Amino acid sequence: MSHEYVPEIAVDRDGKEHEVQGWQGDFYGGKLGFWLFMLTEVMMFGAMFLVLTYYFSLHPADFLEASSELNVLLGGTNTVVLLISALTMGLGLLKMRNGDIAGAKLMIWATIILALLFLGIKAVEWTNEYQHGVFLGLDALQSGNEHSKPFGQILFFGMYFTMTGLHGFHIIIGIGLMLWLLKRINAGKVSTEHHILHFNIALYWDLVHLIWVFVFPYFYMIGAGDVVGGVINAH
Amino acid sequence: MLTNYKTLKAGYYKVLIGLLVLTTITFVQPYMFMLDSTFGIQMLIGAVKAWIILMYYMHLKGEKLIGWTVIFAVALVVVFFAIVVVDVEHFQYKDASHITSQELDVTHTTSHEK
Repeated sequence: MSHEYVPEIAVDRDGKEHEVQGWQGDFYGGKLGFWLFMLTEVMMFGAMFLVLTYYFSLHPADFLEASSELNVLLGGTNTVVLLISALTMGLGLLKMRNGDIAGAKLMIWATIILALLFLGIKAVEWTNEYQHGVFLGLDALQSGNEHSKPFGQILFFGMYFTMTGLHGFHIIIGIGLMLWLLKRINAGKVSTEHHILHFNIALYWDLVHLIWVFVFPYFYMIGAGDVVGGVINAH
Repeated sequence: MLTNYKTLKAGYYKVLIGLLVLTTITFVQPYMFMLDSTFGIQMLIGAVKAWIILMYYMHLKGEKLIGWTVIFAVALVVVFFAIVVVDVEHFQYKDASHITSQELDVTHTTSHEK
């Protein structure tokens, strides 16, 4: 069974033949279209950051206090894991463009493993938080009972679980896309000549990394260390 | 085959080193310097990292059409956000709202301290 790329031909009224430019052939169009999709992602996460900033302006002291409760070591490790995974994804694309298909597949697998590591660390972190009574639906994050955290902290942790959860969902989607990419490469549908799918999935992975670049400091670092600056006093 | 494969590969590693240096600053800043401005510094480092990722890992460097599309779209989002911020500043049900009511905070703090 051959997996060679077979161009689709359209014939105009004068009988001339033209190759139909599908998403495989139209590299620039495929790239532009994917950027438009990614801008919708930026809007979604941007709106969440806007809400987060609004809540932070209302309850700065509670936010710093809640942030200091998060595990910087685990969050920081995940930051480095994601950073390296962005490199492996980029190198994979470079290898694909250079004709090294086996090397490209190896790099994609490396990225998948790093993505699974990220999810594993996140799972450990959430489990620890659950065991400390801080999780969506538990008393600490419900207002009006004796175990309730201050209202600003409830908002902080609500946003924390929502945004890191949504980010984690994007990681899972990314793993699915990379497995699909490997399948397409094995089938010969993605090659050195037709690698727009690989390019766009690498873009997606960079977007996932880009979002974490802001999620990590906003949740983990603002209350780390000796951060007590003017904010708590002002409150 | 790429004629400049080695140069491009070296570029990826240089970007990685740059991002790792910035990440290290992210980790140490709240413990070492400018403690009064942690939020601003952290967001500034994030913005620099984001710019590097966009330009080099996401290949926006030299991409005029897509680059301007991104700038235009982000500018629209910023305008939209600015309008929301102004709107929220003039929120007329501040006292009645569950989120913004200061009364709720006081009540809650009291019950929490018990």
